[in-house]
Amino acid sequence: MKLSELGPEFKTEVMSHKEAEGLNLCFACGTCTAGCPIHEIFYEYDPRKLAKMVKLGMREEVLASPYIWYCTTCRNCEQRCPQNVKFFDILNVLKNMAAKEGYAPHSWIEQTKQIMKNGIIFSITEELKEKRRALSLPALKYNGERAKKILKLTGIDKVKDQGKA
Amino acid sequence: MRRYALFLGCTTPTQVLQYELSSRWICKQLGIELVDIEDFVCCGINQSNISIEAGLLLASMNLALAEKRGLDILTLCAACTGQLAEAVEKLEDPKIRDRVNSKLKTVDLRYEGKVRVRHISRILYEDIGVDRLKEKVKIDLSRLRIAPHYGCHYLKPASAFKGFDDPDNPKTLHHLISATGAYPIDYETINLCCGGKSFPVSEDIARSLVKSKIDNLMLKKIDFLVVQCQTCYLMYRGQQRALNQKFNRNYNIPVLLYPQLLGAAMGGDLRDDLGIHLNGISLDDFTKKLGVDLPYIKR
Repeated sequence: MKLSELGPEFKTEVMSHKEAEGLNLCFACGTCTAGCPIHEIFYEYDPRKLAKMVKLGMREEVLASPYIWYCTTCRNCEQRCPQNVKFFDILNVLKNMAAKEGYAPHSWIEQTKQIMKNGIIFSITEELKEKRRALSLPALKYNGERAKKILKLTGIDKVKDQGKA
Repeated sequence: MRRYALFLGCTTPTQVLQYELSSRWICKQLGIELVDIEDFVCCGINQSNISIEAGLLLASMNLALAEKRGLDILTLCAACTGQLAEAVEKLEDPKIRDRVNSKLKTVDLRYEGKVRVRHISRILYEDIGVDRLKEKVKIDLSRLRIAPHYGCHYLKPASAFKGFDDPDNPKTLHHLISATGAYPIDYETINLCCGGKSFPVSEDIARSLVKSKIDNLMLKKIDFLVVQCQTCYLMYRGQQRALNQKFNRNYNIPVLLYPQLLGAAMGGDLRDDLGIHLNGISLDDFTKKLGVDLPYIKR
């Protein structure tokens, strides 16, 4: 990678999202990485490195990286950050941007479709209805109509599974 | 009488029915009325991955539905708890609330900011209290050694749970386990995440997190791992079997959901009230562990 390919544009783009405003406060101490359970078992996933890559302007390398989706959302990174940087939120901003460019994993897109249909991420099958009846649990009456209406306002229904991830 | 809107989420009422069953049973015994709201939807936490706004709108919809009925929310899933409590916190900002309300309008809803969201364990801890829970205990569980697992979103983001427990050194589930008479142990990987939110993207990575915790627990003398979230439950219960196949191990730590443990101490029917058999635990083994001769099937 050449120095001339780097620049502040990507950082500015990321920080234009309210959730990522705090990125500038990161001084790369690595407390996030030290507390990250994914990093512990998978060295390549590294919150500090990702924050640095955003600051350097490595747009394509960050957004196309399959690793950004590996986060297990434990939120240790933000919990322990001495600068109160919300890396969890910043990562969500990065994933949102990556999704718009077609990098979202199939599983998350599939879940959204389910919610628009059923209101929840699973189908309510006949088998399940029978299981619930057997345990005297009330029938589930979820319905995706409302969820569909509101999700359409965000454009999430247009996020396409382009098979890049 | 305490009344709450019961927020079941997606996974509990479809895959971990015993969590719902045992929660409903203990609440009934403790005078907590649970109101089912048919138009609740997914809390939105996973949708935040592809659209933070979509996640917030789904959460807000649920808050508005509870507020319409004048109820606070009782959750079972740790992730729903975190997502909804974080939305409550965000919506304290009138600017964000106005923006969200302008969108909720399309589904005839409005949120004014009046709903409190708490996990069932927190409600037991704060509203009933450890002392009153102890009074309800009918069966001595003092032989049992239990490993508690809290679930990340039970206490994080910390700003959304102001003053309740400490995410880095949590204690409330320890106290709730003690209330049943059982002994809660401490262990090195107590705060390690179950990996549930990585699972849909990378099963291997998620499974490795389960392996780290179970390897640790296999060295301890425990009777059960007790969790308070159905996703943590599914990871620890389901992935032990997968790991056994893959690595030729013999992982066999039984997993309970906290309301099942409390319910057993309160004398609930192990099958009909608590669904212990659905955890893959034989009721004979369970009563043997408890060291008491339980008439566990009432009929």
